[in-house]
Amino acid sequence: MLRYIAYRSLLAVFLVWIVVTLVFLMLHLVPGDPAELLLSQGSTAADPQAVANLRERLGLDDPLWLQYAHHIGGLLTGDLGTSFRDGASVTGQIVQRLPRTLEVIVAAALIAAALGVPAGTLAAVRSGGWIDTLISFLSSVALSTPVFVVGSVVILVFAQELRLVPAGGYVPFAVDPARHLLLLMLPAGTVALALWAVIARMTRASVLDVLERDYVRTARAKGLSRVKILRRHVVRNAMIPVLTVLGLEMGTLIGGTVLVEFVFNWPGLSGYLVSAVDARDYPEVVGIVMVISILFVFLNLVVDIVSAVLDPRISLTR
Amino acid sequence: MRKLILPVSIIAVILALVLLAPILPLADVRAMDIPHRFAGPSLQHWLGQDEFGRDVLTRLIFGARASLSIAIGSALAAALIGATLGLLGGYFRGLVELVTVRAAEVVLCLPPLLLALLVVTILGAGFWPLILALTLLYTPNYARVVYAATLQVRGLDYVTAQRALGTHPLTIVLRTLLPNVLPPLVVQISLVIASAIVIESGLSFLGLGVVPPTPSWGLMIRSARGAMEQAPMLLVWPSLALAGTILTFNLLCDRLQSVLDPRTVPVGGAIWLRRRGATSPRPSSREARVPRAAGPAGAGAVTDRAATDRSGETKPADLLAIEGLTVALDRPGGVGSGMELVRGVSLALRPGETLALVGESGSGKTLTSLAVTGLLPDVLAVTAGTAAYVRRDGTALDLLAEDEDGHRRLRGDEISMVFQDASAALNPVHRIGDQLAEGILAHRAIGRAEAANEAVALLKRVGIPDPERRARAYPHELSGGQRQRAMIAIAVANRPKLLLADEPTTALDPTIQAQILALIADLKRDNPDMGVVFVTHNLAVVAEIADRVAVMYAGELVEEGPVAEVFARPRHPYTAALIGSVPEGGAERLVAIPGTVPAPGQMPPGCRFAPRCDHAEAICRESEPAEFVPAPGRRTRCLRYEEVT
Repeated sequence: MLRYIAYRSLLAVFLVWIVVTLVFLMLHLVPGDPAELLLSQGSTAADPQAVANLRERLGLDDPLWLQYAHHIGGLLTGDLGTSFRDGASVTGQIVQRLPRTLEVIVAAALIAAALGVPAGTLAAVRSGGWIDTLISFLSSVALSTPVFVVGSVVILVFAQELRLVPAGGYVPFAVDPARHLLLLMLPAGTVALALWAVIARMTRASVLDVLERDYVRTARAKGLSRVKILRRHVVRNAMIPVLTVLGLEMGTLIGGTVLVEFVFNWPGLSGYLVSAVDARDYPEVVGIVMVISILFVFLNLVVDIVSAVLDPRISLTR
Repeated sequence: MRKLILPVSIIAVILALVLLAPILPLADVRAMDIPHRFAGPSLQHWLGQDEFGRDVLTRLIFGARASLSIAIGSALAAALIGATLGLLGGYFRGLVELVTVRAAEVVLCLPPLLLALLVVTILGAGFWPLILALTLLYTPNYARVVYAATLQVRGLDYVTAQRALGTHPLTIVLRTLLPNVLPPLVVQISLVIASAIVIESGLSFLGLGVVPPTPSWGLMIRSARGAMEQAPMLLVWPSLALAGTILTFNLLCDRLQSVLDPRTVPVGGAIWLRRRGATSPRPSSREARVPRAAGPAGAGAVTDRAATDRSGETKPADLLAIEGLTVALDRPGGVGSGMELVRGVSLALRPGETLALVGESGSGKTLTSLAVTGLLPDVLAVTAGTAAYVRRDGTALDLLAEDEDGHRRLRGDEISMVFQDASAALNPVHRIGDQLAEGILAHRAIGRAEAANEAVALLKRVGIPDPERRARAYPHELSGGQRQRAMIAIAVANRPKLLLADEPTTALDPTIQAQILALIADLKRDNPDMGVVFVTHNLAVVAEIADRVAVMYAGELVEEGPVAEVFARPRHPYTAALIGSVPEGGAERLVAIPGTVPAPGQMPPGCRFAPRCDHAEAICRESEPAEFVPAPGRRTRCLRYEEVT
């Protein structure tokens, strides 16, 4: 098991290096001068003086290998540069905002798993029945409705028409825990909807698959109760692929809460990214993209390790 | 194919609206009418007017233009590039695979929306940057799918043959491989279109996608949010259009998948898991049969008859007496429902006796043992017969009439099973000791620690070395023989009265087989009253362990009797052929009976063995033989047994 973890960690470090290099190259391999590209707005040509200044600031006049060394060096020391817009430290901003984004993702994953696993199991056990059809229909709709549509409709219905909740915003937990959680529920619940559908479908397929296995028949042959068989031998085994999918989805969400943070005015990392993209603030964008990508790779590593713990056979395959 | 009609026709309508938009009698898409901003639906404006007084319906249709052309354009571009990479990588492998498929997969290291945002940062918002971003995003998906499909096809004989004939690799890729990878490619395209619409509309919603004043659903939702108080419906219409379109493409994807890949046939779930009532194999006939088997008298009637078959020998009461067991396919409305896989099987087992149930694959021997324990697959059901069984406390009952709960109380306690493939029959994620202990705890009120100790003792009893450590091991950490020993330990944990072993040695090599047989014999000495039904196709095994043997053919019992007598003088041509097919020195497979077992539903009239029988005459093909008693304690289902055996 330890060897497996070491192997996967090494692989993750390698992937992070690829991602970091990729982000670096993306900007430098684009045809034309990146500084000019960043400063131009549509067809208006950039001011040559500004371009020269930007080249200076970005170190674009250095040889490529030196720029790459700076890029890696800055990353290793946790220095992601300063913002074009206000000169603030990019690292500082990320440290402040990242936890808020993670909070939304974790809350959404918890809600989605808590509702999706029972729904998927029920649909599998009653497969072909009305409850299966209902869950299948609901999950299709949930999967087909983009998150910003769900968010906007939630605001329209619950905030605008029913006046049950505020239309969004953020209050630190330390200031007002109850209001913090209420405000958290809006983006988290919205993200959870599509995630619920993914988990419910995956659980259903996985449970149906496990029900056909010989060891479930063995469990029945032992005379175990239905609940015990379902819990210990069916759902327990069916959870392995579901957890993998949940982990991968959470990874996608780290960069994908952009829309929901925008809709609910949640000051997380993704919202910061959008405004950075909008302002074409290069150090900010690169910094955020790299942090998110590293988290993405790291989360996949965690998923691999958790799967190996849940299914002792996995660590043998490598 | 009919399943595709709905999504395809909806998509056709959407595409027609989009393509014909310029010539449809719609209002001008950019014409503002500020005095009538937020006006409700009217004859001129069916869905009302937006914050600039523009016609909502027109903008909805023109909005589809932007979303769909970006989504479909990038889905096709990515399909072209991705499929090329996947085909080349999958066909040539090696270095080519590295620079095509693996290189494309690097993109997957980045979260999708993030990658799109990165491209937009570099190139700015707009139509073409969006196409580029989405193409980049989805290329690796196609490459992977096509690569996997190519790998499957490239090893097939007709591809190898073309290569051997010297056909140009490109011709093979285009002419032979491409048509074969098209189905998964088409499914992927529909999936990507749906997902590209989501990303495009999301970026437009953020103001980073389609640039105003070009109408787009994302932009419409964005501006409607600001006017939510005055005109909530402005938010609803584009939301519905967007979700509906994505839903249709997702539906198309699902349906395409089920049409192109018939393996994804829906499974039935598990009837046994559902509540009482639904679990009884034959709820309707239950009342009718229970009285017969409920009291000792009822059970006696069954055993009396079994006894007369053996001409009234005095003997202890039967432990299990199966009478007329019939198992049929039970899929109401399904293909072949009612088809009988086991027909009219009668068997009796006395305490302490070992009965071998022998036959070729498909003869119904496993189904017979599963029927007794109520473990038949959901698609099968017992349609006739009784199985009188006397419990430890002396009460008699009919096993075939029990529902799931009734069976559950007996299973693993009085009646237990050993399955063929122990590596599949043990749960891979639980420790051996826990899997043993839970069987003990299911039937006895003892503590966990006590059950765990007993589990270790049982592992020791079945001959597993170092049982304390093995109890903490997972199934995959044991050898095949040890797994089967653990399986047997689970079966005997509660000292069963009846042990049903379904080919317990088939998956093992001969040395281990002998050890397992010795173990079962040994366990019988521990528990001399335990009756054993041993399902096998191996006659050598039968000779070694069984007292009596029952031979099954094509779902029917054809001969039964004491092992020594049956082997010395088989009274059915099939048994004789079986014995004759075992080479001297004891081989393990049944070979060389001409012909094959008839498929269920294609049973010949008359004797089922007649088409393969050397002694068959006209009468054998016309009338179904009944069971005859050629000698005390023996039965045969052959009309001509007196002449031919």
